[in-house]
Amino acid sequence: MQLRIHTPEVRRSRRVLAAAGAVLATTLALVGCSAGSTTSTSKGPLKIGISLSLTGDFSDSGKSAQRGYDLWASVTNKAGGILGRKVALTIVDDASSPDQVVTNYTDLITQDKVDIVLGPYSSLLTVPASRVASRYHYSFIEPAGGGPTVFAQKLSNLFFVQPAPTTAGGDVFADYILSLPKDKRPKTAAYAKLDDPFSAPIAANIQKRFEAAGIKTVYDQTYPAETADMTPIVAGIVAAKPDVVVGGTQEGDAFAQIKAMIQQKFNPKWLFEANGANSPGDFPAAVGKANTEGVFSSADWYADSTIAGSKAFIADYIAKYGGTAQQIDPTSAEAYSAGMLLQEVAKKTGKIDNATIITTLHSGTWPTLVGNLSWDKYGAPKGAYLLIQWINGKLTTVYPASKAQASPVAPKPHWAG
Amino acid sequence: MHALIQAIILGILTGGVYALMASGQTLIFGIMKVVNLAQGALVVLGAYLTYTLFTTLGIDPFLSIIITTPLLFLVGIGLQWALLRPLHGEDVAQLSLLVTFAIALAIEGALSVGYGATLTNIQPSYANFSWTIFGYQVSLVRFVAFVLSIVMLGVLYFILRRTKFGRSVRATVQNPMSAQLLGVNANRVSALGFGLGAATAAAAGSVFGMLNSFNPGSHYDLISRLLTIVVLGGLGSIGGSVVAALIMGVASSLVSALASPIWSDFTFFIVLLLVLLLRPRGLFGAKTRGAL
Amino acid sequence: MKRAITRIGVVRAGVFFGLLILIPILGGPVWLLNLLIFTVMYAALSSSWNLLGGLAGYPSLGHVAFFGIGAYAFAITFSSGVGNGFSPFLALPVIGVAVALLSLPIGWVSMRTRADVFAIVTITFLFITQTLAFNLTSLTGGAQGTSVAPPPFDVSTYDWPFYYAMLALLAVAMGISFYFSRSKIGLSLATVRADEDKAHGVGVRVTAVKLIAFAVSSGLVAMVGCVWAYYVGFIYPQFAVDPLITIGMVLMAFLGGKGTLWGPVLGSFILVPAQEFFAQTFGASELYLLAYAAVFLVIMLFLPRGILPSISERLRRRKLAAAGDARDAAQLAESKDAVAASKTEVA
Repeated sequence: MQLRIHTPEVRRSRRVLAAAGAVLATTLALVGCSAGSTTSTSKGPLKIGISLSLTGDFSDSGKSAQRGYDLWASVTNKAGGILGRKVALTIVDDASSPDQVVTNYTDLITQDKVDIVLGPYSSLLTVPASRVASRYHYSFIEPAGGGPTVFAQKLSNLFFVQPAPTTAGGDVFADYILSLPKDKRPKTAAYAKLDDPFSAPIAANIQKRFEAAGIKTVYDQTYPAETADMTPIVAGIVAAKPDVVVGGTQEGDAFAQIKAMIQQKFNPKWLFEANGANSPGDFPAAVGKANTEGVFSSADWYADSTIAGSKAFIADYIAKYGGTAQQIDPTSAEAYSAGMLLQEVAKKTGKIDNATIITTLHSGTWPTLVGNLSWDKYGAPKGAYLLIQWINGKLTTVYPASKAQASPVAPKPHWAG
Repeated sequence: MHALIQAIILGILTGGVYALMASGQTLIFGIMKVVNLAQGALVVLGAYLTYTLFTTLGIDPFLSIIITTPLLFLVGIGLQWALLRPLHGEDVAQLSLLVTFAIALAIEGALSVGYGATLTNIQPSYANFSWTIFGYQVSLVRFVAFVLSIVMLGVLYFILRRTKFGRSVRATVQNPMSAQLLGVNANRVSALGFGLGAATAAAAGSVFGMLNSFNPGSHYDLISRLLTIVVLGGLGSIGGSVVAALIMGVASSLVSALASPIWSDFTFFIVLLLVLLLRPRGLFGAKTRGAL
Repeated sequence: MKRAITRIGVVRAGVFFGLLILIPILGGPVWLLNLLIFTVMYAALSSSWNLLGGLAGYPSLGHVAFFGIGAYAFAITFSSGVGNGFSPFLALPVIGVAVALLSLPIGWVSMRTRADVFAIVTITFLFITQTLAFNLTSLTGGAQGTSVAPPPFDVSTYDWPFYYAMLALLAVAMGISFYFSRSKIGLSLATVRADEDKAHGVGVRVTAVKLIAFAVSSGLVAMVGCVWAYYVGFIYPQFAVDPLITIGMVLMAFLGGKGTLWGPVLGSFILVPAQEFFAQTFGASELYLLAYAAVFLVIMLFLPRGILPSISERLRRRKLAAAGDARDAAQLAESKDAVAASKTEVA
């Protein structure tokens, strides 16, 4: 309860002034220090700054992205770098926090004075980060921020390195279903959506097109991110007896949905999970290898992808990090592709400054590990994902026909239990 | 109607598991008059221990309770002795509360470092197995979990009613001053009580890990539900927490089925506020002077 | 026990705020301003929390709910446009007062309980607010978050308006704290903190004074939330209503000295840069939770009253000891004189 400090005033004031002087001196020193930092010359290394979620909620994906970026940097430097300059990556941790990501990119741009920045993991962090980059007129090539809020910012410096905005992840499934003759299509549909910027919209987009085509919605439920128990939701789906089940999901909840369906012995004719089922390692581990058969999902890259450069990427990845191709997270391929874009811009224009990157990427199509990419003026890619299905224990592209490795399997075989 | 009854069945089965977790927490309050904000974190810790035993040594999650329960019992005693007993001063209650909060954070931090943030769960081979009884789905895991909870609550009851230690605990809960005058060692009772609370969390953790996806941050959801249950049941009353757990299990399950899953947690909060407003001592709590 | 406006106090405040005001003008780099914005933000939050938790003795563990409410109120109001960028700052006092009024019924309900149950109620309120932020998607955007339109500030001085706004809020929080300590309100709060029933019995307007502390504290925290939302530009429910922010507030107040004027400020000026330093150097900021918990535990166990009170306690004891020694020395000298005098008398 000390509200008054009993000390001799004179002695105290001298001490305070001394302390104040020290603080002032330190501050001025700090101010002076940073003013003296050097800017990179056009002959020195190409400094690229990236903030990634190496810890926190997104840490697994953040680390995958880091591997992708690092692999790209080492492969590029082995081939001589970009325009003769070695690539030097500065990767900092944002602990999956938007406040930290703002601080990180501000520091990377104004304190470390990097030449280029590349994007963090997830739309959640991409949105605040892209604002910072835009303010300083830096280009913002980013591999993991594809939610609608990213493009709603209407930034002209932003480029999302995936074939389409994330919410279009299910469009290819709708394309496939609606390509079937009317009598072979499902009549009723159930939607289970995870309440987050990526997942729910994927299912919602499919729902819009299905309803327009006359496929009746018999169940529609959105659930919060921490929902661990899908049993009540799946019970509702079972009661509604839909022909097709569309899950707007991430990994954990997709697995839970499927396990609940197995438990309740419910087998829809078509089952699409936006995420989860596109993970070559986690999915069979979570639901049992025999239970994967016939489940649909979508992806931009997976181990058996036939896109140009994929095999070389896999070989380099395994050489650097070990493991098998099936264990490679697509996020690594997406990050690698971000780097590829920089190389291609340099090759085409002979320059690698931010203004050039921004103007150049806004026209033409650019080949990457995740497909040939092109963007609209706000950074939304204009392509489409691949529809993949588990056939004989492996992920296979089944639609569109031009890229398919096999025909889609329908109706879905029964659960193995 | 079918959906309704299915929801009720699910609610009862889930409620049993919450009863086990809540009983530990209310016991701790009864003895030490401290709300243990780390109870949720201890459950998650128990879940991770079970997970590790399962994935590295292949021990069945139900069987691993034999290992995790004594282990967390000792951890609980250690925590109480090291971090709660030394607290003194006028604000002991407040400080203790904050210390348990800090313990929860520490557990969460340690688990994040050790296991990362991805959602995990424990998948024994029988995880997806369910029976169909009269057209209603009853999952094997949930049923066994319920039975297990009842058994463990029975053990707890036995300890409290029939052993000397249990008598000391009940005396301390009823009147700490008199209990001390009669020779009960308050420190020892507190330590053992906290250990018991942690042990119940361990048992509940194995089950929790099988039923839910969890990560180190899951303790927030748990603690918010546990707080409602112990307050509804009456802080300090184990029987009360069991009844309250069943009520809340069914209530939230119904809300989930009839309205929407995104509001099911809300049920807990609203009930908590109503209880605090209308009948702060809960269903079976003692009318004490002071905090409530 | 009216706190005097001492010369030393004025100098201290003058130097502190003067320095902080000058830093951008003297060319402080952007990264420093960014760090300071968060530091001053936590100082303001902590000082506001202190009004309720330190002065009134009601440790709210859910105060970040008001932070989030302020942030969302601001974001929803200004999501489409911010004009010249400065006018939204005028909305701060409006939102602050509105949240303060809104908090009155909440305060009234929750302050019918004491200590640990109060903490439970406030935590529950936090979770309720967070759930509402997630679920009322048409209003808050739900999990997708909601944005504030970017202000047309000049790039080279972009951070300045936010920095000064935070500084102003800190000054207001500390000013109110100081005013309370000099006035009847502060005295009443002190009695409530010590023993509420007795205070009530003696005739202190307990309810009124508790509610004032609650409302003022909430309104201030909400205003800080507004500036934060404006600065970051995009808010999500789990970050606008984040239990870790409450923990930060509480921890900093405890570290520096709960109930003191400068304690929360000291606490935040130690912890926020430390956390940033940790994050930058070691990168493994997964450890920050452990570090927070460790700091918390160390303070609870060894320094429960915080740094400032402990220092002043030690200084006071030294002064008393010095005074005691001086008194003993004087007495000894006196008795020596007396002996000498009596000797001369005898002789």
